[in-house]
Amino acid sequence: MSSEFEISKRITIGQYVPTGSFIHRLDPRVKVFAFTILVLAIALNTSYIGNTIGLVLSLYLFWVSKIPIRYGLSGIIPAIPFIVILAVLQLLFQGQLFSHGKVYVDYGFILITSESIRLVVVSAVRFVEIIFLSSVLTLATSTTELTHSIQSLLSPLKKIKFPVHEISLITTIAIRFVPTFAIEMEKMMKAQASRGADFGTGGWWRIIQRTKETFPIIIPLFNIALSRAEDLILAMESRCYTPGGERSSYTTYQIAAKDYLALVTGLLFAILLFAYPFPI
Amino acid sequence: MKKTLTVRDIVIAGVLGAVAILLGVTRLGYIPVPTAAGNATIMHIPAIIGGIMQGPVVGLIVGAIFGISSFLNATVPLFKDPMVAILPRLFIGVVAWLVYVGLRRRNEYVAIAVSAFIGTLTNTVLVLVMAVIRNYFTVGVAWTVGITNGIPEAIVGTIITLAVVLAWKQIGKNQKSKISKDM
Repeated sequence: MSSEFEISKRITIGQYVPTGSFIHRLDPRVKVFAFTILVLAIALNTSYIGNTIGLVLSLYLFWVSKIPIRYGLSGIIPAIPFIVILAVLQLLFQGQLFSHGKVYVDYGFILITSESIRLVVVSAVRFVEIIFLSSVLTLATSTTELTHSIQSLLSPLKKIKFPVHEISLITTIAIRFVPTFAIEMEKMMKAQASRGADFGTGGWWRIIQRTKETFPIIIPLFNIALSRAEDLILAMESRCYTPGGERSSYTTYQIAAKDYLALVTGLLFAILLFAYPFPI
Repeated sequence: MKKTLTVRDIVIAGVLGAVAILLGVTRLGYIPVPTAAGNATIMHIPAIIGGIMQGPVVGLIVGAIFGISSFLNATVPLFKDPMVAILPRLFIGVVAWLVYVGLRRRNEYVAIAVSAFIGTLTNTVLVLVMAVIRNYFTVGVAWTVGITNGIPEAIVGTIITLAVVLAWKQIGKNQKSKISKDM
């Protein structure tokens, strides 16, 4: 029963696992850029060999980053039922669109060809690869580093008056406050439950009851959020924070030889996956 | 439209974005409804509140945070498509702000309630239109989902927004920061 309220434990956003590996020590800008192009290249690759390379590469990166593989698996396991359902649907109904391959089954509206099997296998494997890659990136980079790097990668947009710094500050605040509010919410749920409130005990068909149950949580949650916002506004203004001002950063990044090495490796793999004509 | 974002805009947008993300990751923002789409949502409410409290830019940013987080957390292919998950959500806060500003002179309460209602419908309608355009739903399915999900969502959204914004107007009479308005 009490485990229902342990919200803060189940949230995996901004989960940083400090192992001090090679990947952890890379320049975050290089890391974000390299991972983005790799994910794009994988998303566009439809070959078996290409996706095997991608899968091996993402597992290898997990190994290099010294992060236990269960962190990556925890993102995949809850999605397995959906992957399976999607695969079955694609296998049964997408054959018409991919009828140019070798035909294996042709029964009524069900048409299974080598190309539709390719679609099913590749899209499932691709999903796993992308989850692994994005977990390596977020597990090996702290949220501060991530927002710093996104800010510096977006900085060319400043030329067209796009508020890059403000947007990255908003993102930082949002990510920073999620765990805080989760703890607040946990306290509130426990407090309301100790007064006899019910959570999630009504059946799913009792929509009105289920909706009413959320009110004693949601409304105080917003009020807590907004009063926290007032504190933060006061704190920032009393420190003379001015939006749009030119400001420097406490941590400055210097691109070193190992970063160039990682960047070139990432680029090579991306080009290989994107452009090389794999036989199958 | 203001030229730059103020400290207040930045902080409120960030905090409401955090609430939107939290409602998504804890599944508290989903209300189970037995229809094709599976769940009614209340995660768009931060975007409406942002629009009402701080104007269209904040509403747009909170909507974008909601869209991106729903895109990243999606377990159904419908919301793994950025055209469905992110694009329609940008308009929620903007529309809510437009309605609120239009009706504010008549009656504050009515303005908040109507803008929450219309803001929610914006979310429902635009998501379904995109779903039809991108061939996830047929028009018939979209209508069914729109009526069975959209109406309860709009009612719940109105109640929560009204409660939050009115409670906030009471507390907000003595905002801690005295200089926010000048900046």
